Amino acid sequence: MTKPILIVGGGPAGLAAAHSLGTVGRSSILVEKEDKLGGAPILSGYAKLVPSGEWAKDAIGGMVDRVEGDSNIKVLTGTTVTKFDGTPGNFTAEFSNGDNAQVEAAVLCSGFTHFDSINKPEWGFGTFPDVVTTTQVEQMISSGQGVRCPSDGRKPQRVAILLCVGSRDRQIGREWCSKICCTVSSNLAMEIREELPECHVYIYYMDIRTFGLYETKYYWRSQEEFKVKYIKARIAEVTSDGEKLIVKGEDTLVKRPITIPFDMVVHAIGMDPNVDNPQLADIFGVDLEEHGHIAAENRYGAMGHTSRPGVFVAGAATGPETIDDSIAQGHAAAMSVLSELHQPVDKSA
Amino acid sequence: MPIHEKSLIRPENLKTHEELVIDGVDVSGHWSTFIESRVVSDYNEAMEDEIAALPGGENIHRCWQCGSCTNSCTVNAINPDFNPRYWIYLIRMGMEDELLRDKDIIWQCVSCNKCTYACPRDVFPEGVMKATAHWLERKGHTPKSPSMHFDEVFTEQVIKTGKIEESRTIRRFFSRTKQGLMQPWMIEMVKRLLRNLPVGLLTRMGLATFVAPKTRGWSSAAAAMQEYIDEQHEKQEQALSS
Repeated sequence: MTKPILIVGGGPAGLAAAHSLGTVGRSSILVEKEDKLGGAPILSGYAKLVPSGEWAKDAIGGMVDRVEGDSNIKVLTGTTVTKFDGTPGNFTAEFSNGDNAQVEAAVLCSGFTHFDSINKPEWGFGTFPDVVTTTQVEQMISSGQGVRCPSDGRKPQRVAILLCVGSRDRQIGREWCSKICCTVSSNLAMEIREELPECHVYIYYMDIRTFGLYETKYYWRSQEEFKVKYIKARIAEVTSDGEKLIVKGEDTLVKRPITIPFDMVVHAIGMDPNVDNPQLADIFGVDLEEHGHIAAENRYGAMGHTSRPGVFVAGAATGPETIDDSIAQGHAAAMSVLSELHQPVDKSA
Repeated sequence: MPIHEKSLIRPENLKTHEELVIDGVDVSGHWSTFIESRVVSDYNEAMEDEIAALPGGENIHRCWQCGSCTNSCTVNAINPDFNPRYWIYLIRMGMEDELLRDKDIIWQCVSCNKCTYACPRDVFPEGVMKATAHWLERKGHTPKSPSMHFDEVFTEQVIKTGKIEESRTIRRFFSRTKQGLMQPWMIEMVKRLLRNLPVGLLTRMGLATFVAPKTRGWSSAAAAMQEYIDEQHEKQEQALSS
């Protein structure tokens, strides 16, 4: 009898990997450290997803239901892997609940950690209650409460979204582009304008990276249909005059300093490597790339290989990733597991 | 001055005081020159909506500031201060004072429409220039241009009679632009008309000068046109006054 495959992390990538293995009759153990499945879209309460526009709780919730209803998948929530030893086809994993299991391979779908805006104190998060993050605005929308200033619950009349908070910033050691924030922000801007048509939304950017088909669906549409305004400026600081938030910076297109009052400032927070990555790397014996994400190898011959044979990786564990691509990588990693186990390939293939 | 920022200081923003004492410190004279702040301290959200409400300005909000319009501009090649990209930005952010500095050159757009074909976002910059020139007129920042006067007398006549009677158009145009009718070229033209035209045609032309000819059954068409114009005008007025 074949042994199960270990999947670490119950977000979009892990759910996809477990489902894929289940569809071909392979059993798996899905380990999730939080007490429910779904990953960031569910745990952080995302609203409508890019690009489908479906609510996260429906789209990702559906994936969770599918996994929970699959008898091939054993779900362990509130559990972490504490030890992992062996060789491909013959690993032993120990869990935080004291159990252990024999597994053939492991897929790390451990995702990312949201950037903590407190690390950019000049932008007022943690100091002024009306400075919030994109995740908080997602929650305001998904909870049905609507977009309101946390300080007094009023409807904002003017909102500034600051891009690249925790991304592309050598000062705080985060040199990567988090890939999704431009698109997410233009999507949120449209949702704010839809709910509060009187509210003006300004997006402060260094570059706009609504890549691929997101260009028209998000960047163009937000301007053409929702009249969101984009200003090329890296904000210097967010302060307050006691009533409104004051956003300071330089409007680079007219070479002029700006000091503009806003009701609400939204940080488009980036994707950090998962804070657990150093321990995961230690436990699973895999390499991290220079920024601290799990290093993916052999990207052409097969998907999802790490530096250790038999241990695979998928989704935002490898670097900032979209939900769609995380799901695709989850499926692809499952395929890699199967082909590796049944027909080991030369790594240089 | 060895600092390049000097070029950003407009002469009118340099303030020198003959005699000024602040907190007991004498800051009079050239050595205590002040520079007025260039800080943008607020956005005026109404301005873009106002110009977007005028014909041609509808797509101004699409602009992403690539500069294709300015690069392709016929007038910009002659006068670098003629910068549609920049004005579109000022309008979108509501920097009215800044736009008004250029009010006397904005109307100089020659409508070659090179920008229209260069614009990747289909902003229709030529239309925006036209809308902006009209906005400046309607807000009283610039006088009505001669071409605006001409358009008005022309349109009024068409709506009233369904026909154009040239001498009436010219007379009204001259009177509204405060030009004398008895200009040498005009006198010469009338003289030659009298000398050379057949008597029958002259009689009909003369008659038309006094009795305005009218297209038969025109009134319902005129009413429909007027209704549409009033509707548009009211919409624009509403946008301009909000």
